[in-house]
Amino acid sequence: MKIAQVAGFLGSGKTTFLIELAKILVDRGHRIAIIVNDVGEINVDAKFIEMYGLKAKEISGGCICCQVAGNFANTIAILYNTFKPDIVIVEPSGVAIPWGLKRAAEYSEEEMDDVIVHAPVITLVDSLRIEELMQSVRRLVETQIREADVVFINKVDSATKEKIDLSVQFSKAINPNAEIMFGSGRNNQGVKEAATLIETRTSPRYDESYEKEMLKRDYGGGA
Amino acid sequence: MTEKMTHIERVLASLGDQPVDRLTVYPIACGVSRRTIGDGTMLYKDWCSDPKNYAQGLISGQKYFDLDLTVGLMDLSVIAGDFGSHVRMDEQNTPFVDDPVIKGPEDYEKLQAPDINKGRSGVILEGTKIFADALKNETITSGFLEGPLLALTQSASAEKVFMDMYNNRSAVHKALGTFTEYLRDMVKGMGQSKPAACMWDYLWASYSCLGDNEYDEFEGQYKYAGGLNELVGKEGMALAIHNCADLPHLDTQIKAMKPAAYTMAYYPLIPGSPSASEVIGKGYADNCVVCGNIDPQGYVRWSQEKMQKTTMNLCQEVKTALCARGLKSKYCIASGCEVPPSVTTRLENIKTMVDTVKQYGQVTC
Ligand SMILES: Nc1nc2c(ncn2[C@@H]2O[C@H](COP(=O)(O)OP(=O)(O)O)[C@@H](O)[C@H]2O)c(=O)[nH]1
Ligand SMILES: [Mg+2]
Repeated sequence: MKIAQVAGFLGSGKTTFLIELAKILVDRGHRIAIIVNDVGEINVDAKFIEMYGLKAKEISGGCICCQVAGNFANTIAILYNTFKPDIVIVEPSGVAIPWGLKRAAEYSEEEMDDVIVHAPVITLVDSLRIEELMQSVRRLVETQIREADVVFINKVDSATKEKIDLSVQFSKAINPNAEIMFGSGRNNQGVKEAATLIETRTSPRYDESYEKEMLKRDYGGGA
Repeated sequence: MTEKMTHIERVLASLGDQPVDRLTVYPIACGVSRRTIGDGTMLYKDWCSDPKNYAQGLISGQKYFDLDLTVGLMDLSVIAGDFGSHVRMDEQNTPFVDDPVIKGPEDYEKLQAPDINKGRSGVILEGTKIFADALKNETITSGFLEGPLLALTQSASAEKVFMDMYNNRSAVHKALGTFTEYLRDMVKGMGQSKPAACMWDYLWASYSCLGDNEYDEFEGQYKYAGGLNELVGKEGMALAIHNCADLPHLDTQIKAMKPAAYTMAYYPLIPGSPSASEVIGKGYADNCVVCGNIDPQGYVRWSQEKMQKTTMNLCQEVKTALCARGLKSKYCIASGCEVPPSVTTRLENIKTMVDTVKQYGQVTC
């Protein structure tokens, strides 16, 4: 079962985007489930979420190491055991750390007979509000960009070229390795391409990366 | 195995950086300790809502695992729940807020502080008195409280609180003021319960969330937290701080706040997350017992061999770093955060960690 995280701060267009994404993936023959944030209000296409989705506890940061992990893993396992989706699209809260979520998802393997594969982590950057975000919640936005495999510069339907350029600059400075995409969840622009990425590519597992890092520390002279 | 020092002697020696027979050890085994009572079937729900059960779990866990310290950590939805958020309380899962009391910006100013002796805050105060009294000749005990910013983010959507720090700044300050007033009363109540220390959970002091200026403004040394820390001392308790963040504000929380003990986690995949040797090497353990940093999930998922190996490696890392820094004992081998209180946590892994420190924790520079 593949887990596809759509990260980004509150208001960056995650819910709008992931519904379009889910529709495309359903059309391509996938069995899709969605886990969205319980605490943020869902003002878009609530019916769709009702059909395919599940509201989960705020998938938040804070204490990712212990408290949240078990509950989220349990949600994933229940989804698998009742619905057997092949892709689960997850909308974490803007204070979540994508690594923490990957890890929690992998724990669900203990309660189901399948392995978890991660799709590339897509972080949406709200180009319309980029200046504001760089001021107010800068560090939270940076954290999610840092952990992205793909940075999706969103809302290009309404943003000026300056804002889009600024979004790219900001993202590249934080994570030069991430692939940059442009689009609009509202106008369904770039969403097909994102869906293909989710279908065809993977992102590293937490447990393997962790073991590698610890081995490097213990034997590779790193501290 | 009879040891040369008692738990209390060892912890006191460590606080003063005196020689110890071995490093202090403290897996933060709180909720999970309920499983060491009787036939091990007490529900989390019953543990966290009754002062006698809460205290009994901690007392029993101290003996079962032979712990150097005892901390009264419950879960992080206590204060939010007492202020009117709905807490989902399953039989065995860690309880969490599923309907926060603050839904929009207008609600920050409407917060009403409840009576500290009611609800689960009351359970903590009453339960702390019981375990602090029962263990006063056994271990160093500590009460545990959620910091004001944590209490606030648990009472609202955390994301919105962070946005509102800019868009509704004065309302956020008002709410933090309300929580801080409440927490002042809690500290006084805690003082009456007489644990040796009071530990704060100040987990938003993390560079992945807030910079120094923002943390100073919304919790910080000069604002809400600073005054609370001072009150802890006035009430006769030592100051301790817990922060399991990936990128903790060590200068503020260790150098400026000057806690006697600081417990922290380690995230090897997050660039810049400080390891035990870095923390010691940079002087943060010079005047504070730093406690860390075994991965809490290891108690659920690792084999005993892996727990032993990991603990041995950490002991070695810490001993080398302490010696290089000219320190004798100012690090406590601990879990980075609470040992998961779940039914699948392996009690034998907790024991293995403690036993490994007994065997390999001798500092000989
Ligand atoms: N212009 C524009 N607005 C969008 C787009 N996607 C979402 N929005 C708007 O942005 C706001 C937040 O969207 P939502 O999907 O709820 O964001 P979330 O908080 O990240 O889930 C709503 O008012 C949407 O109508 C987009 O592609 N372009
Ligand atoms: Mg949303």
